[in-house]
Amino acid sequence: MITLFSTLLVILIVAGGFVAVFSKKLLSSVISMGLVSLGVSGLFFFLQAPDVAITEAAIGAGLSTAIFIIAMKKIQKGGTSDDE
Amino acid sequence: MMSDTPEIVKKVFAIFVVGIFIVGFFVTFTQMPKGNEVNVNDTVSRFYVMKDVDQATQMLDKGTYFNKDMVPLRNDVPYTPITFGKSSNLEDGAANVVTSIVVDYRGFDTLGEVTVLFLAASGVMLVLHGEKRKVPKKKTEPSEIMYVGTRIAFAVIFLFGIYVFIHGHLTPGGGFPGGAIIASGILGLFLGRKGYSPNKAGLTVFESLSGMAYVIIGIIGLVAEKSFLANFLPTGTIGDLFSAGFIALIYIAIGMKVGSELSAVTNAMIVDTEED
Repeated sequence: MITLFSTLLVILIVAGGFVAVFSKKLLSSVISMGLVSLGVSGLFFFLQAPDVAITEAAIGAGLSTAIFIIAMKKIQKGGTSDDE
Repeated sequence: MMSDTPEIVKKVFAIFVVGIFIVGFFVTFTQMPKGNEVNVNDTVSRFYVMKDVDQATQMLDKGTYFNKDMVPLRNDVPYTPITFGKSSNLEDGAANVVTSIVVDYRGFDTLGEVTVLFLAASGVMLVLHGEKRKVPKKKTEPSEIMYVGTRIAFAVIFLFGIYVFIHGHLTPGGGFPGGAIIASGILGLFLGRKGYSPNKAGLTVFESLSGMAYVIIGIIGLVAEKSFLANFLPTGTIGDLFSAGFIALIYIAIGMKVGSELSAVTNAMIVDTEED
């Protein structure tokens, strides 16, 4: 069961990576990067590394995704402030 | 997904992700072994579980190894197995092996890691501070549910972060994840209220004091044990809260430092973005 779940997680990570690279929208890319981090964190947990899993989930999937989105909003506001 | 992707592909992808989460919950609650049934000796190197560098070196020197049932192959080397909740006064009393390496044996390395994070946060704040660009103010206000919900969630998240870094020597986790969890809670507060801003000076003072506390603990070790960042407190029974000497103190300092640092970074990014 755990092997099956790990396989699914790896597929999720690879799919998320593809979306992150090839997506046209920046927001989709950032969110799929968070998804990849979540999958990697689950994989770490099953590979007996709970310390790394907790750090990856808190920083990779939580904070860095949020900071990317904030930075993206900041860039868009600075660039296209004329439309409003 | 891509903007020109057909709708069906998006739906299949979404169903796949949701299915993985459902299977994950199922696996975690049914298939994982209980904590007290795991035999650590099967998954970790046997020398790590020994909690004593001197003994391990002695065994390596004499070429002594164990067979599968933790029975020593040679009898002339003294060896006592470490039992959770019974063994006491070990060289390093942390039940979490990773923590004993990260904070105790490699404490100086962790000090450098904290410095790296401090420099990164300083760089972010140096770049973003004082930049006041004219941006149109957003008109959407967070709803009442968001406002109340984030506040309740913040209390729980904050408590969990504190738990993670205080119990760093007993359970997985430690100062860095604990601080990141606390900063995530503060990020939730930003989302819940429009004009929220934490006390900037308070965050700075807090961060500096906890960073200084780390170095001061190291210097106390230098004075008491003739080595920088040496464990100067007694180690109790393995598995207790007060069992690992100074590891809990250092992790409290690191957790407060990382939490206030990442909160200050988030604050700098969000507040400067919404300045008008």
